[in-house]
Amino acid sequence: FASSSGQNRNAILVSHRQKGNPLLKHIRNVRWMFADIVCDYLLGQGSCALYISLRYHLLHPDYLYYRIRELQKDFKLRVVLCHVDVEDVIKPLHEVTRTALLHDCTLLCGWSFEECARYLETIKVYENKPADSIREQMDTDYLSRLTHALTSIRHVNKTDVVTLGSSFGSLSRIMDASMEELARCPGIGERKVKRLYDTFHEPFRRVS
Amino acid sequence: MLPFEEQIVSDLMEDPNGGLVVLSSGLPLSSLVASLLLLHHPSRGSLLILSASDSQKSSISRCLLLLQNPNPNLPSDVPGDLPSHHRAALYSSGAALFVTPRILVADLLTSRCVPSAVASLLILNAHRLSDTSTEAFIARLLRAQPNSPLIPVLAFSDRPHAMVSGFAKAERVMKCLFVRRLHLWPRFHVLVSADLEKEPPEVVDIRVPMSPAMKGIQSAVLEAMDACLKELRRTNKVDVEDLTVEKGLFKSFDEIVRRQLDPIWHTIGKKTKQLVSDLKTLRKLLDYLVRYDAVTYLKYLDTLRVSEGVRSVWIFADSSHKIFELAKKRVYQVVRADDMKISTDNKTTPGKKRRMINDEKEKEIEKEASSSKAGDRKIDASGGIVLEEVLEEAPKWKVLRELLEEIEEERRKEKQSTGQPMPEAASDSSDIVLVACKDERSCLQLEECISKGQHQVMREEWGKYLLGKAELHGLRKRNRKKSQEPKGFGVLDGMIASGSSENAQPSSISKLENDALLAAASEISNLAKEEIEVGDNPKINSRRKVGKGRGTGRGKGKSRKAITNVQAPGNKRKKSAENDKIQPISAETEGPPSNSDRPLEGTSHESGLEDLMDLKPLPPVQFYALDSDQHIFNVLKPSVIIAYHPDMTFVREIEIYKAENPTKKLKVYFLFYEDSTEVQKFEASIRRENGAFESLIRQKSLMMIPVDQNGRCIGPSASNEVQSINLPNSATRKAGGRKPLEKEMQVIVDMREFMSSLPNVLHQKGMRIIPVTLEVGDYVLSPLICVERKSIGDLFQSFASGRLYNQVETMIRYYRIPVLLIEFSQDKSFSFQSANEIGDDVSPTNIISKLSLLVLHFPRLRLVWSRSVHATAEIFASLKANQDEPDETKAMRVGVPSEDGIVENDVRAENYNTSAIEFLRRLPGVTDSNYRALMDNCKNLAELALLPVERLAELMGGQKAARTLKEFLDAKCPTML
Repeated sequence: FASSSGQNRNAILVSHRQKGNPLLKHIRNVRWMFADIVCDYLLGQGSCALYISLRYHLLHPDYLYYRIRELQKDFKLRVVLCHVDVEDVIKPLHEVTRTALLHDCTLLCGWSFEECARYLETIKVYENKPADSIREQMDTDYLSRLTHALTSIRHVNKTDVVTLGSSFGSLSRIMDASMEELARCPGIGERKVKRLYDTFHEPFRRVS
Repeated sequence: MLPFEEQIVSDLMEDPNGGLVVLSSGLPLSSLVASLLLLHHPSRGSLLILSASDSQKSSISRCLLLLQNPNPNLPSDVPGDLPSHHRAALYSSGAALFVTPRILVADLLTSRCVPSAVASLLILNAHRLSDTSTEAFIARLLRAQPNSPLIPVLAFSDRPHAMVSGFAKAERVMKCLFVRRLHLWPRFHVLVSADLEKEPPEVVDIRVPMSPAMKGIQSAVLEAMDACLKELRRTNKVDVEDLTVEKGLFKSFDEIVRRQLDPIWHTIGKKTKQLVSDLKTLRKLLDYLVRYDAVTYLKYLDTLRVSEGVRSVWIFADSSHKIFELAKKRVYQVVRADDMKISTDNKTTPGKKRRMINDEKEKEIEKEASSSKAGDRKIDASGGIVLEEVLEEAPKWKVLRELLEEIEEERRKEKQSTGQPMPEAASDSSDIVLVACKDERSCLQLEECISKGQHQVMREEWGKYLLGKAELHGLRKRNRKKSQEPKGFGVLDGMIASGSSENAQPSSISKLENDALLAAASEISNLAKEEIEVGDNPKINSRRKVGKGRGTGRGKGKSRKAITNVQAPGNKRKKSAENDKIQPISAETEGPPSNSDRPLEGTSHESGLEDLMDLKPLPPVQFYALDSDQHIFNVLKPSVIIAYHPDMTFVREIEIYKAENPTKKLKVYFLFYEDSTEVQKFEASIRRENGAFESLIRQKSLMMIPVDQNGRCIGPSASNEVQSINLPNSATRKAGGRKPLEKEMQVIVDMREFMSSLPNVLHQKGMRIIPVTLEVGDYVLSPLICVERKSIGDLFQSFASGRLYNQVETMIRYYRIPVLLIEFSQDKSFSFQSANEIGDDVSPTNIISKLSLLVLHFPRLRLVWSRSVHATAEIFASLKANQDEPDETKAMRVGVPSEDGIVENDVRAENYNTSAIEFLRRLPGVTDSNYRALMDNCKNLAELALLPVERLAELMGGQKAARTLKEFLDAKCPTML
């Protein structure tokens, strides 16, 4: 039993209710197995998911509410996975959104079985992943750092970064360049020149 | 003012609702506005001018100065950093004011500006409006109250083609501005053309043939465009009719394609997306072909190749190979040494003889000879690769020069014949020749061409190009080291030794070519170095070469290669003192060439330099960049205008200038490249505008704008929308009796959000909007609910930058129910990606992964998915239903760092150089904890760039961070290759 629970920890547990859901076909990156659980999908220690398609919601508007009420409070993350499978989405989605939000559930929308399945897989796979990939950071090579910095100025694109870099030689030279020098770079038009120059020369605080 | 302008104004004033005026571009929009300002009287209230660009503001002011001398009543700006009570005073002063919509809407909502104090509203650039834009919001705030006084809204646009994009755009714009009259004033309007064609200027149309290489490039680019278009058509996703190469010449083409593809953007493949952006690149290439000189063009191509790299489709097409090849050929050519005899056979015998020597053992002497004699070839020591400089000049340059000479000559003749200066010449500025180019860059370059001569300009560009190449390779360092070792051959000191080892193996042509380029570059840099070292001697030397270079270029025309000064073999030049001794030797070995070159050199000297300086005087020339948008006719009063880059708007401006000064003689020259896309584009722009007007005329005849009994415009279906808010409200109420909505709902909105249309729509739904500056979140719906709104583009961007993570983090810290609103756009698809785009594996870059990760880390974060702004407004209303109203003072204080006091009701962007702060925060070494200190202690980024590392360490609180930052700032850019 110990080994099977060890295996279970690495698998998504699926409620018997979900039998026949075409979504299951698309869970390929993680193992899954049926189990007796209250939620539809048990994704890890503290996270679970309920599945609802908008079409089903239109037929049974109260279904989601009752399902959420059944869930225990001890899940940290309670996902409502909403399959958007109708054309006229605004009203049903509005209701689902409202129900999920007012009952402490996180709503995720997928537009295909593949996408819904991928959300389940990802939440499982990323169970213990740090948030590095969505935190502020960048590639460490010089050009991508330079690009990262310079493209924060509106209208400046990657080609311009290369142009600026090769015409001035270093970032400090770019920052110190005069309007005329900037204007001489191919592809840097009037508007970009002004934006660049203003960014570098206008004081950080406009009002003293 | 011309008669037709008066007609426009009086037509517009007829309807108390105001109206929408659409003009041909180039017609005097600003003088129209100026005359409307003259009609304004402060006693009736203030006149607000919305959405004027900076150049429009200044040209309106200029027109006012002309109309209202000596003490004009110029409209003033309402800056966002002005304290709020000052702003309120300005609004009630009855003056004419320039306001940005974002500020005005906030002031209207906070009653700093009361509608009764406004006499009329003037909106420029009406083509940018839509029914959810802020201007429409303002019009509604001013006009929607049925009992308020009727404030006329006067809207203007001089972009007719933008007015017809999309379905019934003009009608929708008019409805949202509450106006019912559409005034169309195309250039072909009877009154307009009567006024403008009474005394038309004298026009000379000059067609300059393009060089064969340019033609080649143009046809190759067009071919590539055509291929891209064909490919795009094959996707069956776009309306084929709109996809023509002609339309592809305009910027708006991207918009056409994007508008068609946007709703299905998620379903189209990477390749199609790439095609769309390739088309844009190609259009730029066409444009730059006629605007940039050959070297700069090549440089731009190089940059493109690096930055576009592997992604582009077109870069691998056959035709694009041709583009690169031809662009290179305009600048230089690479020839194998052993082929050289063949390639130079058709040239003069001297050249041939010299080539023979090349094959001889006495390389030293040869080098000496070529160095002292301005040979135009660089020989790669081992591979025998020769770099020949072509440096093709832009054909228009020469024509421009001749044209200027001709103008001056004519003037002299005229003066001689009349015996005295012409009457007009009395006003001293009238003999100025105005040359109009597209951009500032071309202006500068043409100015140099006139003052220094075309060849010199090309040579300088070439020098810069080579130096750039050399720098990329860190050549200088290697060079310095190697040059200390004695080398057997003189031409290529140092760096070529390294090149030669590579060349020992059979290597590709491009490799050899690269080496040759580098060799040339190193020589140029050596030359520069030694000119400093040695002093006068080499300077004389090099000057002589200038003359020679020009001579050959001139004498033999474009087919012959022009010569530059890069040929000098570096370390030998140090012996410039010995030059004289060596010269005789070389003269012996190759007597004929030097003899035949000498006279040439002499003549060239004259034809080259002297025609610049002495022989043919030029009239005073003023260069003018069309991009700069300054109207300088009335300042300069030119009598001759040369349209170097013809442009429809500029032509109209000339016509107006002429019509306003009927007595003045005016001659206009157009310089077109024969059979170029430049001509096509010019003609197509006229056709396109006429087409737009025809369509507008048709629309006008079918237009239906509802008005009430008093002739007031009823806005866009206001009444039924207020109801919709009550519906979900009452239906979802569970507990308690059904109370009617006695109190209106309130939403606190961040000032920055007024760029989006959600506040407008929320207001449409009957909510009260309270604009404040929020440090956390974008909307506060209740004391518990805070919303961060992300459009799809924003979402991806802020995931990539990591900003979203921080925003969610702070929101969670301060609010019970933090909400991330993902708002899709109505006219784009409702989904991130199509099923087949998802891929087989969990990929960290996919949006699904990022959202999942966000959700895992912030399980308390609530997500709201909204189909459109209107859906968002409904969701907001329903979320607020059971909640208390938010408290604005509390909301404002949330997340504000206690040490810097925040100014109430101010727009952050007006107080801070936000773009500089964003830039600063992206620099390595700069963190959340130290960027404020940097901001406080340096004035701006330029100053920061120059701070010494010790000072940085002080400010950043650490050596390591300071060093990281400093190193990044001063690092050499290792670009290209």
